[in-house]
Amino acid sequence: MKFSYFHLMPWTELDEAPQQWPASNSTFDPKRGKELYDCYIDTMAFAEQCGFDWVGCNEHHFSPYGLMANCNLIGSVLSQRTKSIKLAMLGNLIPLLNPIRVAEEYAMIDVMSGGRLVAGLIRGVPHEYIAYNVIPGESRERLREATALIIKAWTEPEPFGWEGEFYQYPSVSIWPKPYQRPHPKILMSASNEESAEFAGQHKAMMGMTLIADLKAAQRCINVYRDATKGHGFEPRAEDILIGQNTCIAESDEEAKEHLSQGLNYFHKVLMHSIRDAMRLVVQKSRFFAQEQYGERFVSRLATLNARNIDEMIEAGSVLCGSPKTVIKQMKRIQGELGNGRFNLNMKIGNIPDSVVRRGMELFRDQVLPEAAGL
Amino acid sequence: MTKTEYDVANFVEQKIELSAGPVQYLKGGDGPAVLHLHSTAGPRRSPAIEKLSIKHTIHMPIMPGFNGTPAHPTLRSMSDLADLMAEFIQKAVGKACDVVAESFGGWIALWLAVKHPELVEQLVLEAPAGLRTKGVGGLPADPAERDRKLYAVPDRAPKDSRYAEVLPGNFKAAMGYTGGETLDEALLKSLPKIKARTLLLFGSKEEVTPVEDVGRRLKSGIPHSYLSFIYGAAHAVEFDQPDRVARLVGAFLERGEAFVVRTAEVA
Repeated sequence: MKFSYFHLMPWTELDEAPQQWPASNSTFDPKRGKELYDCYIDTMAFAEQCGFDWVGCNEHHFSPYGLMANCNLIGSVLSQRTKSIKLAMLGNLIPLLNPIRVAEEYAMIDVMSGGRLVAGLIRGVPHEYIAYNVIPGESRERLREATALIIKAWTEPEPFGWEGEFYQYPSVSIWPKPYQRPHPKILMSASNEESAEFAGQHKAMMGMTLIADLKAAQRCINVYRDATKGHGFEPRAEDILIGQNTCIAESDEEAKEHLSQGLNYFHKVLMHSIRDAMRLVVQKSRFFAQEQYGERFVSRLATLNARNIDEMIEAGSVLCGSPKTVIKQMKRIQGELGNGRFNLNMKIGNIPDSVVRRGMELFRDQVLPEAAGL
Repeated sequence: MTKTEYDVANFVEQKIELSAGPVQYLKGGDGPAVLHLHSTAGPRRSPAIEKLSIKHTIHMPIMPGFNGTPAHPTLRSMSDLADLMAEFIQKAVGKACDVVAESFGGWIALWLAVKHPELVEQLVLEAPAGLRTKGVGGLPADPAERDRKLYAVPDRAPKDSRYAEVLPGNFKAAMGYTGGETLDEALLKSLPKIKARTLLLFGSKEEVTPVEDVGRRLKSGIPHSYLSFIYGAAHAVEFDQPDRVARLVGAFLERGEAFVVRTAEVA
C-alpha cells in the first residue's frame, strides 16, 4: 500500500457560511492568508519526512473551500522544498484551462523536481464551470481533446499544429519537455461510472473521493478496469487511488471529536454555497451525459453531509481513530476495493494544524510500518 | 469515365490532350487555382474541397487508368505521373499554382515539387503515401477494418454506391504506378530539394501512414514544412473533419507563412 498526503488549503477564518456562491471575499485578510500558505506548505513538505509517497493538491475557484486557484504554483514550491516525494497535482481542471499552458507548467514542475510529477488531468466539480464561464456540457469533450493535445505537446519531437473542435494552435513546441519519458503518469478522476470509463479508456491511473458507500465505489473500479481492456493497459492496485478525509489521534474519541469539528466547518461553512452552485450546474446543463449520474452526484453529496462520524466510518467515507483503528479501517476498505494507494486529506475544515501534524507523526510512527505491507 | 455523385453542381468535367495522352479532370470553384491530386480511391469531391472551392478554383485531374479512364502506355511510375501533372499545370492551369494532395496523390505531389519546383507555389499533403516503412501502417485487406482505418467518423464516409464499383480498378491502377512499394528511397533523398512551403496534415487517429513513421520523414526532410494534426480524423481527413481541414488549408493557402498568426476573420 502506498500513501499520498493531500491538502485542500482551506480558509479557516469564517464565522458563518457565505449565503451565496461565489463567496464574498470582503473578509479575506492577506496577512492571515500568508500565515496559512506558510503553514500549509510546511505541512506538505513535512509529508516527505512522514513516509508518504506522494504529496498532492488540486485546483478550486472563487471559494474559501481552498486557497489553491492554481495548484501548479504549490507544486513548483514543493519541487524545491522536497527531494524524493512525488508531486501529485490532482489536478489541473483541464476543460477550464489553456491545455498548452497546462502542458508547459506540468513539464516545468516535472523538470524542476527531477521527474516527480504525477499529472492529474481533471474535469473538476460542476460549479467551477460557472467560475471560468465554460459551458458545462462541453466539459467531457473538452477534456478528451485537451488530453490528446497535452500528450502530443509532451511527446512530439518536432513543432506541430493542432486543428481541433475546441482548440486550434497552428504551431506548438513546448520548452521544457517533461523529465519523465515518454511523459509523466496521468491520473484522472473516477468518482462516478461515467468518469471511471473515461479514465480507463485513457490508460490513466484512477482517483476516487467522496465515497458514500463501498459498493458504489467498487462498481466504479469495475467499470474502470473493464474500460482499460483493449487499450493495452492492465491497471495495478497502486493505479487505484482512494481519497479519504482522515483524522488520526492518540485515541478514537479524540480523533472523532476533531474530525467532527472539522467536518462541521467543512460542510456547514465551506461547502454551504458551493452546493447550490453545483446543483444549479447539474440541473441546468449537460455536465453529466446521463441524468442518472447527475442525480447520483447530488444525492451522494447530500448523503455525506447528513451522516455522523460513525456512519461515515461504517460507509467507508473517512478514516478516523487511533493508529490501530485506522489500520483496521484501511484493511477493510482495501479488502473491498483492492486499491493500492490511499490519498489522505488530513486538514479538514478548521481542524487545528497542530492536530494535523500530530496525526501525520502518528501515521509515520504507528500506521505506516504496518499499513505499508497491506 | 464512371461518374460519381461528387461530379455535380458547379464542377464541370473537362478534358485536355497532353503529350502522353488525354487527361480528364473536374474543374470548379472560384479564385486562385489549386491542383488537387486524388488518393488511391480516385477523384472524390469531398466536403472539404467543396468548402475550399468557395475561394479557390479547384482542378481535379484523374490519373490515367483511374475511374475507368484509359492508361497512358508511357507512364509507369509516380515520377512519370508528376511529369504529367507538371504539363497539366502548364497547359490546363496556365501558371504555377498551389497543390493539395491526399495519400497516393501526395506521393505524386512530392515528386512534382522535387522535379518541377517552379510550378508549385505551396503544397498541402494530407497523410501522403510513398514514405512508409514496409510493414508499418498500410491498409488491411478486410473491408471493415480498412474502413475503420480510413474513416474515424463513419457517417461522413463517401456513400456513393458507384464509388465501390470503380474502387478495385483504381487500386489496380495505383499498383501499376507504385509497383507495391511503400517507401520511395529516391524520393526520400530528394525531399530537401523541395522549395515549396509545405503543410503536412495527419489525423489524430491516423494509422495508415503513421505520423511517427511518415510524418517524421517529411518534417525533417522538407526544409520549410509545418506538421499539423487534425483532431478526430483518421486517414481520410477531408471526409472525417471537413470544417477543420478547410479552415486550416484555407488559411495556409491564403496567408502563407502568416497562417500561424490568428486574425479576426475566419479563413
